[in-house]
Amino acid sequence: MTDLLVALVVLPILASASITFAGWLRERTGWPMAVLALLGQTALAATVTVGVLERGRASHTIGGFVPPYGIEFVADGLSVPFVVLVAGASLAVLAYARETGPHSNPFYALYLLLVAGLTGVCVTGDVFTLYVFLEISGLAAYGLVASASGGDAALAALKYLLVGTVGATFYLLGVGYLYAATGTLNMAALAATLSAESTLTVVAFGCVVLGLAVKMALFPLHVWKPDAYEHAPWAVSVLLAALVSTVAGYALIRLTYGVFTVRFFAANPLVDEVLIAGACVSVLAGGILAFRQQSVSRLFAYSSITQFGLATLGIALGTVPAVVGAAVQLLGHGVMKGGLFAAAGVIETRTRASTVDAYAGRSEDAPFASGALAVIACGLVGIPPTVGFVAKWYLAVGALEADSLFVFGVVLASTFLSLTYFGRLVQRLYVDAPEQTPELERISTGMSGVVIGAAAATVLLGLFGFALASFAQPAVSHLLHP
Amino acid sequence: MTETTSVLPLIAVGASAVAVVPILLSRSRPNLREGWTFAAALVKFGVVLLLVSGVRNGTTYVTPSLQFVPGVELVLRVDALGALFALVASALWLVTCLYSVGYMRGLDEANQTRYFAAFAGSMSATIGVAFAGNLVTVLVAYELLTLATYPLVVHKRTTEARAAGRKYVLYTLAGGLAVFSGTLLVYALTGTTAFTPGGVGDSLSANPVFARAAFALLVGGFGVKAALAPLHGWLPDAMVAPTPVSSLLHAVAVVKSGVFGIARVVLYVYGTDDLTSLGVGMPLAVLAAATMLFAAALALRQTSLKRGLAYSTVSQLSYILLGLAVATPGTIRGALLHFSAHAFMKIALFFCAGLVYVETHVETIADLRGIGRRLPATMTAFAVASAGLVGLPFVAGFVSKWYLLVGLVAAAHPLLAGAMLVAGLLKLLFFWPIVSAAFFPDDASDGARWDRETRQTEADWRLLVPVLLAVAVAVGYGIVPTRFPFFDLADRIVEVAT
Amino acid sequence: MTGLLAQLHYIASVVLVAVGLFVVMDDENLLKKVLGLNVFQTGVFLFFVTVGFRRGGSPPIVTGDGGPYVNPLPQVLVLTAIVVGVSVTAVALALVVRIYREYGTLREDVLREAVADD
Repeated sequence: MTDLLVALVVLPILASASITFAGWLRERTGWPMAVLALLGQTALAATVTVGVLERGRASHTIGGFVPPYGIEFVADGLSVPFVVLVAGASLAVLAYARETGPHSNPFYALYLLLVAGLTGVCVTGDVFTLYVFLEISGLAAYGLVASASGGDAALAALKYLLVGTVGATFYLLGVGYLYAATGTLNMAALAATLSAESTLTVVAFGCVVLGLAVKMALFPLHVWKPDAYEHAPWAVSVLLAALVSTVAGYALIRLTYGVFTVRFFAANPLVDEVLIAGACVSVLAGGILAFRQQSVSRLFAYSSITQFGLATLGIALGTVPAVVGAAVQLLGHGVMKGGLFAAAGVIETRTRASTVDAYAGRSEDAPFASGALAVIACGLVGIPPTVGFVAKWYLAVGALEADSLFVFGVVLASTFLSLTYFGRLVQRLYVDAPEQTPELERISTGMSGVVIGAAAATVLLGLFGFALASFAQPAVSHLLHP
Repeated sequence: MTETTSVLPLIAVGASAVAVVPILLSRSRPNLREGWTFAAALVKFGVVLLLVSGVRNGTTYVTPSLQFVPGVELVLRVDALGALFALVASALWLVTCLYSVGYMRGLDEANQTRYFAAFAGSMSATIGVAFAGNLVTVLVAYELLTLATYPLVVHKRTTEARAAGRKYVLYTLAGGLAVFSGTLLVYALTGTTAFTPGGVGDSLSANPVFARAAFALLVGGFGVKAALAPLHGWLPDAMVAPTPVSSLLHAVAVVKSGVFGIARVVLYVYGTDDLTSLGVGMPLAVLAAATMLFAAALALRQTSLKRGLAYSTVSQLSYILLGLAVATPGTIRGALLHFSAHAFMKIALFFCAGLVYVETHVETIADLRGIGRRLPATMTAFAVASAGLVGLPFVAGFVSKWYLLVGLVAAAHPLLAGAMLVAGLLKLLFFWPIVSAAFFPDDASDGARWDRETRQTEADWRLLVPVLLAVAVAVGYGIVPTRFPFFDLADRIVEVAT
Repeated sequence: MTGLLAQLHYIASVVLVAVGLFVVMDDENLLKKVLGLNVFQTGVFLFFVTVGFRRGGSPPIVTGDGGPYVNPLPQVLVLTAIVVGVSVTAVALALVVRIYREYGTLREDVLREAVADD
C-alpha cells in the first residue's frame, strides 16, 4: 500500500509527459487522457484513504534510503483529506474545462503537473521535497494562469511568478537554516532534534512562514491573487481557488506542528502572538477590501484572504479543536471557493456579467448557478448546516479553549464582514431587476454539474463535518501532543 | 414520562421541505402547485396532532440524532413546549394556505411559485425550531428560517422591499451570531447544549459572570426575532411583505420562534432557580415591560394599518417575555397561554388587513372609515379579535392576560402588573377608534361612499373563511379554554419546568 | 576583522538577497525584475553552498583514501534549486516576450495603465 504514495505523485507526472508527447502526434487528445489519469488518481487516493482508516499513519521510504538521510512519503489522517481534495477537485474541474477551458494538450500537461505538485506537497515527509513540489505546482500554476489569451493574463501570471518565487525562495532559505541547525531534512527527525530556543530556529520559522504565507496569499502578501484569479481562464480560476492556497495551508500546519512542534511556540510565545496578529489583520483586511470590489472575481479573491486568515488563526492558536477547525476550514473553503468561481464562470459565460452591478437579476438566466452561489455564499458566511459553520464552531471552541476572547471576536466579525459583500451579491442576483436581457450563451451540463456538486458538497460536508473532523483529529492530536 | 424513538418529528419537519421541489416544478399549473402546498400542510398538521396527543399522554418523541459538531448532535425531540409551538404553527399554516391562495390570486401577484416554495421552506424551519432538542439544532433551524423567509420579505422587489430585506437579514443573522456565541459559552461551561427541564444544573450557576454573559447573548440573539426593544426595528419595515407573510410569519412563526428560543433558554437551559440566583430575570422583565409600553404607544402614531399591527405584535410578544422572565409558575402559565392566544388573534387581525387591501386597496387606518358597510363580517371579526388583544372577556386574550396578571400580583410585582394594565389601555386606544370608525363613522358620507363604490359586500370566501376560523378558535379558547390542547400543554410545561 | 572575513560569504549572500529583492520590488522594467529575482535566488544558493563548505574536504566518493568528505547533500540541494530557478526564469522570460508582443513595452507603470484601460 505504501507504494501507492509514490504512485500518487508519479502517475500525474507520467500522464503529463504522455499528454505532451501525444500532443505532437495528434491534437485534442489532452482532455480524455487527463480524465483517465485523474480517475486513476482518485482511485489511488481512495485506496490510500481506506488504508489510513484501517491502519493509521502510513509511510514509504524512497529507494530504501532510511531517514534521516533518505526521503520519506507519509500519509496520515491530516494529509489524506487534502490528497482526496486535490484528486477529486481536479477531476471535477475537467468537466468544467471541457466546454470553457483551453483545449490544447500543453494546457492539460500543465494541469496534471499541477496535480502532481500539489499531491506531492501533501504526501511528502521531507522539507526540501516540499519545496520542490511547491515550485512544481507553482510553475504549473503560472503557466495555467497565462493560458488565457490576451496580455493581461500574461501580466497576471508574471506578477504571480515574481511574488510566488520570492516566497518559495524564502521558504528555501528557511529550509537552509533548518538544515544548518540539524543536518537533516526529514520532518520527523527535525522535530526531534530542533532546538526550540535557538535564534536560528526562530528565523527559520519566520522564513518558512513567510514563504507559505505568500502561497496562501495572506495580507499583505496577497497581491498576486486578485489579478491571477481575474485574468486566468475560468477553469483555471476554479482549480487554483480550490487547491493551491489550500495545500499551502496544509503545509503550514504540517510544518508548524510536525517540524517546529508545540515546544517552539511554548518557548517563543511572541512568535505565536505575531502570527495571530497577522492572521487577524488578514481576516479584517480581506473583508474590508472585498466590500469595495466591483469585479466578482476580485471580490472572491479578497474573500479568500479573510478565509485563509481564519485558517491561520486556527493554526496559530495551537489547541486541538483549533487546528482541526483550521483543517476543516481549509478543506471546506477549497470546495466552496472552487464552487463559487465555477458558478461565476457559468454566469459570465451565459450572460457576460462579471461585475456585481451587472449581476442584477441574473438569477433568472442562470438559475442553477445562482442557486449554487447563494448556497455557497451561506457556507462562506458560516450559516449552519454548511461546512463553513462547522469550521467556525471548531475555531471558536479552539479560541475559547486558548482563552482568547479577542480571536473569538475576530471569528464572529469575519462572519459579519462576509455577510455584507456576499449578501449584496445574492441580493443583486435575486432581488434586483435585470437591466436588459442579453443574448444567452449555451453552457454545458458539465459546468452545471460542477456548480451543483460544489453546492451540494458545501452542505453535505457540513452535515457530516464531524466525520471529517474525527478522521483528522487523531493525526492532529498526535502532532500537537506527541 | 416515557421517551420513544420515532420518525414522526422528522416527517413533521420535512413534509413541507420535501414539497418545495414539486411546488417549483409545477410553476405552470397553479392549482397543482397549490395542491402540493395543501397536501404538505395537511400532512404536517396531521403528524403534529398525533404528536400532541402522544405528548398529552406523557410521551416524548425523539428522532435518532446526527453528530454535527463535537459533543453536540442535531436531534429532534418533541416535548410539551415544542408540541405547543408546532401545533399553533401547523394549524395556522393550514389556514394561511387557503388565505394565501385567495390573496395572491386576488391581487394577481407575480412570482407566486417562489412565494409558495419559500413559504413551505419557512414552515419546515419553524417546525425545526419547535422540535429542536438542543441549542445547536435550534440555531441551525433559526438561521435556516431567516434564509427561507428572506425571499418572502423582498417579494415585491421594490426599493422599499429590498431595504427591508437587508435590514431583516442583518438583524436576524446578527441575532444568530449572538445565539452562536451564547451556545458556545454554554457548551464551554456545561459540556452540553441539550434542553433539560428545569435547567442544566449547577454548572451554569458555578460561573456567574460567564453564565450571565451567555444569557445576555442568547436572549439578545433570540430577542431579535422576538422583537424585544431595541432589537425590534426590523419588524415594522418587514410589513412591506405580502400580508399572508406578515400574518403567519411575522405574527406567528418567525417572531414566536424568537420567543420560543427565549422560553427554551429560560426554562430548559437556565431554569427558574438559576434565573433568580443569577439575577438575570428581573432585567429581562423590565426590558419586556418597557417594550410592552413603548411599542403600544408607538402603535398609536402609525398611519398604516399593518405597521400599527406590527407594533402591537411587538408589544404583545413582550407580554410573553415578561411572564417568562418573572418565572413563577403562574406567570409562566400565563405566558404560554398567551403564546397561542395571541397567535390566533393576531393572525385574524392581519388577515383582515390583507382582506381589506385585496378588496378595496385600502392600507391606511384613516381610509378605513365606514368600511363596516362594505365588509361587515370582516370588521366584526376584526373587532372581536382586537377585543381579545385588549383583554376583554370571552376572547382568548382575556384568559392569558388574566393568568399573567394574577401571576404578577401573586409574585409581588405590582409595578409590572400595572404596566400590563397601562399597555392594555394603550391598546384599547389604538383599536377602539379603528373599530368604531369602521362601523360608526363620524361623517355619514364615509359610509355612503362604500355603498356608492361597489354593490357587493364581503370578500372572497378564500379570504374570509380563514379570518372567521381564526376568530372562532380565539373565541372558543376564550369561553372554554380547557377544551383546547394549549391549556393542557401549558400545564405540563409548567409542571415539568419549574 | 578576521571574524568578519570568515563570515564574508554569508555577508555576500545577504547582500545578494537584499539587492535582488530590492530590484524585484522597485524596478519598473519587467526584465530587470526577472534579473533581480535571479540575483535573489543566487544569494540563497550561495548561502547553501557556504553552509556545506568544508576546508580540506575531498569529493564524496569513497576511494579508501580517507580524509574528511564533503557532505554532498547541500550541493544536491543547490543543484536542484538551480534547476528550479532556471525553469522559473525560462517561464518568466517567455511571459516577458509575450507581454512585449502584446503591449509593446516592459515598463510596469505603463502596463498598469494599459491593463486598467482594458
